[in-house]
Amino acid sequence: MQSAARRPLSASAIRWWTIAVLIVLWEVTARLFGDPSFVAPPSRVLAALIPTIFGDPKLTQALGMALFEMVTAFVLAVLAGATVGIAIGITTLGRRSLFPFVLLLFGLPQVTVLPLVILIFGLGPASRIAFGFTHGVLPIIVTTVTGMRTVNPLLLASARSQGASQAQILRHIIFPTMVASVFTGLRLAMSLTLLGVILAELFVSSNGIGNYTQIFAETFKPASLYAVILVLAITAVALNEIVGLVEKRFSRWKQG
Amino acid sequence: MLAQADAQLRLTSLVRAIQLAVVVALFAAWVWVTSSHAINPLFLPGPLPVVNALARLVGTPDFWAAVGVTTLTTSIAYAIAVTAGILLGFFIGRSPTLTAAYRPVLSGVFAIPLTLIFPLFVVMFGLGPPSKIAFGALYGFFPIVLNTIAGFSGIDPLFLRAARSQGASRAQTLRHIYLPGAWPVVLTGLRIGFFITFASVLGGETLSSASGVGHAIAHEGDLLDSPPMFAWIAIVLAVTVLLNLALTVVEKRAVRSA
Amino acid sequence: MPPAITVDRVSQRFAGANGAPDALALDDVSLEIGRGEFVSLLGPSGCGKSTLLNIIGGLIVPTSGGVRIGDVPVHGPLKEEVAFVFQESTLLPWYTVLENFRVSLEFQGRTDNWRDHALSALSSVGMEGFAQFYPSQLSIGMKQRINMARGIALGTGILLMDEPFAALDEQTRLVLGEDLSVLLARTGKTIVFVTHSLSEAVMLADRIVVMTARPGKIKAIIPVGEPHPRSPDFMLAPRFSDVRNQCYELLRDEIRHTVDAMREARDARSG
Repeated sequence: MQSAARRPLSASAIRWWTIAVLIVLWEVTARLFGDPSFVAPPSRVLAALIPTIFGDPKLTQALGMALFEMVTAFVLAVLAGATVGIAIGITTLGRRSLFPFVLLLFGLPQVTVLPLVILIFGLGPASRIAFGFTHGVLPIIVTTVTGMRTVNPLLLASARSQGASQAQILRHIIFPTMVASVFTGLRLAMSLTLLGVILAELFVSSNGIGNYTQIFAETFKPASLYAVILVLAITAVALNEIVGLVEKRFSRWKQG
Repeated sequence: MLAQADAQLRLTSLVRAIQLAVVVALFAAWVWVTSSHAINPLFLPGPLPVVNALARLVGTPDFWAAVGVTTLTTSIAYAIAVTAGILLGFFIGRSPTLTAAYRPVLSGVFAIPLTLIFPLFVVMFGLGPPSKIAFGALYGFFPIVLNTIAGFSGIDPLFLRAARSQGASRAQTLRHIYLPGAWPVVLTGLRIGFFITFASVLGGETLSSASGVGHAIAHEGDLLDSPPMFAWIAIVLAVTVLLNLALTVVEKRAVRSA
Repeated sequence: MPPAITVDRVSQRFAGANGAPDALALDDVSLEIGRGEFVSLLGPSGCGKSTLLNIIGGLIVPTSGGVRIGDVPVHGPLKEEVAFVFQESTLLPWYTVLENFRVSLEFQGRTDNWRDHALSALSSVGMEGFAQFYPSQLSIGMKQRINMARGIALGTGILLMDEPFAALDEQTRLVLGEDLSVLLARTGKTIVFVTHSLSEAVMLADRIVVMTARPGKIKAIIPVGEPHPRSPDFMLAPRFSDVRNQCYELLRDEIRHTVDAMREARDARSG
């Protein structure tokens, strides 16, 4: 039996201590060994946070625009993806013939067509929304189609025995199953949408947030560069969490 | 009885027919749209110009230089990702406490678009391959470590208990229970990791580079020269599809014999 | 007055999948079940008892022969006459218990006073406190209890139950069996109950239909002769053991046949 003095470290304690140690290490090595043109310790990044983000209204605007692009791309991806997914998955024939194409597209490195997307949609928000959309729509289609296969045949037999019409079966059994399957893909779709939008933003360095990352890098302002990255990362995490919460709320019936 | 088998066969043939029809229809649409100039040839060149560009491209010194750079970069990045991912994943996955401690952090970081870090790597390592190696290794590391953790932590404790009750040594437990049990999941992680590393290297080359396939694509885009750009895209897509097929076959064989 | 259920020379042949030979699941089965009777279909795995139940309920159309409910021939599910309770809970997981009742009654076309019907059915099994719960929040025993209540709420004359207690532990099974017996006495429903368990069949049924191994035929029909509601003490009565032993004698050979058939099939595949 262990005495109170030697309690084993809990998982979250280990986690937070590790993170703390890493941050301290970063601070120390950055200050001692880091070239100030390229490397900034966390303290300086935090100090630069507010001035960088809010100092230049154009930059704040660019960040806002990036957020707008992320959300728009995601919403479009979910709507289009769910529709296409349901259309493909609702019949065995459709699923078996068309789903392989979707899987094929899902495996391709979309970054190869980034220059093409820019060519077509221009240098503004449209191309970033488009690129985010193409990243996010595929996982939604995939999870929707695979989820629709999981309609429980026993539930169908039970409903039939109770005299349910086809319309009633569609509404009370098939439709809720489909909605549930769309929701399982939301988190992944959000991650990938963010990836697409950020890739496009960074690629087009003539306007948008990519412009600023380029400037900060070239004018040797690492603290500002890191600050922008940090804000974008936090935004990504926040959006992911929001989607996760929505997913939880709509899956209340799943929790046992 | 025959009716059932017959129905199966008819379904499969119908499926193949539809797939063929889709491919043919897409190709026909491509030819029609480009020959009638309904779309700006800048956005979508016709099949003939693309094939010409492809013929002019493959085999030239420029072609080999770009392919060589990308291949080398990807290989090195992947080697790093695999080594780090498997070692760390094994170490963490074997301990339930460490798994509980670190797995959520690693998943959480993976969900952030790590492309954000890329400008940092360019700043630190320059425009050449090293920044892409770092980026590719970083991104590919995550699915490998996460799957390795899943593989090793997912071993049914019942099997471990049974082994211990039979007096198995640590080495024997490792060899006969951990490795075979974790192997399929780890393998999947290695496959996903490869494609993520590959895509990240291409992405990095597209974003900021002076060499490599990704750079070539971006460069042709800058020059507003679509046929060579499409030729490069076609090459990348073909390579990806072939690699995917090859790795799927390898994976199936490996899992079956394990 | 025609019997509640008439099974008239029913045979069921299933097409073999992927080149396997056809299987004869039921062979010329005939049976009459009276109003208010509790009949148990008892037999080894694969003897076709669930198939027979599905045929009676109109979920499967037999390859030959037919079924009548009263004097109405069965061509499909008769939602006014027949309710099913399946082995696994068929409560829709995305609706609460109460919403499930509403939807079931809606399927049946009985939407007036659905709430009263639902709540009274739930209280008859003591589950009215869980009306707002989701199925995932309930244990298997509670869910099956609610499934039973739903079967009753549908107000049909006939209840078809396909191994409803198979997934439950012994103690829950005994309690639910008791409740079922009480409900039968009170409502006078006709119940056909498929089970593997000898004790369960003897405990609950008025008559036990013992079936042979595949292809399923009726081997014997054993009357139990104890009025409902049955107290748990019936299990201690000598008559219980007699009937049970009788069933066991009949079943023993059939179980052996089933195991031998499985062994033959396995050898045929690997040979």
